[in-house]
Amino acid sequence: MWPRVVEVMFGCWLAISPFIFTHPPDQPLLWWNDLGCAAVVVALALASFHPRWRRAHLLEVAVGAWLIGAGYFAAEQPPPAATQNDVLVGWLLLMFAVIPSETNRPPAGWERRLRSETRD
Amino acid sequence: MDDILRHPSMHVAVEPWDYNPSAWRQRIPICLLAMAACLIAVYMGLFQWGLIGSVWDPVFGEQSAKVLKSDVSHRMHRWFLLPDAIFGAFAYLGDAIFGLAGSTRRWQYRPWMVILFGLDVIPLGIVSAILVALQGLVVGSWCFLCLVTAAISLVLVWLAYDEVWSCLVFLHRVRKRSGSWRTLWHTVWGRPSDVADEVARELVREAR
Repeated sequence: MWPRVVEVMFGCWLAISPFIFTHPPDQPLLWWNDLGCAAVVVALALASFHPRWRRAHLLEVAVGAWLIGAGYFAAEQPPPAATQNDVLVGWLLLMFAVIPSETNRPPAGWERRLRSETRD
Repeated sequence: MDDILRHPSMHVAVEPWDYNPSAWRQRIPICLLAMAACLIAVYMGLFQWGLIGSVWDPVFGEQSAKVLKSDVSHRMHRWFLLPDAIFGAFAYLGDAIFGLAGSTRRWQYRPWMVILFGLDVIPLGIVSAILVALQGLVVGSWCFLCLVTAAISLVLVWLAYDEVWSCLVFLHRVRKRSGSWRTLWHTVWGRPSDVADEVARELVREAR
């Protein structure tokens, strides 16, 4: 489950980052965007621990793409630190979100085959 | 739980090698080397961000700063919103975490993972090494740490290609044996089938 743990940490970082890098005070949407994405990432990463939502982490790909895309649309030049941070976290999320949770075990189907064979 | 991970079939050599290219002793060195390159790239990124004032270069001295703050790199920063060294760091981090993910038989169980890892290490590694080599011609200066990371990229290609090769041989034979793109598709995504099982057994048997 290590990718999920790392993603929770990314979520926490995203939640505190607007207070570190600060968006312009007249643009509250940018603040809420960071906080909202952070909440979604943490929720999806934790939900993946439940067998029923074990693939929930794949939805983080959408959050990552959104953070990168929003950065490109909103970008002033030179890009402000807060925007760069969003894009950075977006790329990291894309990378981690695709890794399966029980990543060092065989996938369920192959593991079942292996087990039935061992029993014979 | 761990009996499966210790199962002998998780630790067998595979065609055309006399060892298992997905074994931890094969993959951990790749991850360590990639992490080292990632740290170097982050260090250069910190300089491009202006968070540190100078960059270490025992060979070319001031030339490193010229490369890292060149017009090309400024333009990249504007286009991609992040310094180019940070993208290098992403690529090396990807090498490391895609190298860590997967079982010791992932060439069979999770081909998509091996392919993703292979794409990150091999084409991206070779292209970035070529780009770094070109910097001397384009910018007219050299950067020692950039050359170090480019050299690491090439070593990583050499360390990683064996696993990708076995994985592609496996997929190729599954496609040929089954005659079906559908079976190939399922195999790539790690879904078992009798054909894939049979081919994997053969590859293990044929290993030198």
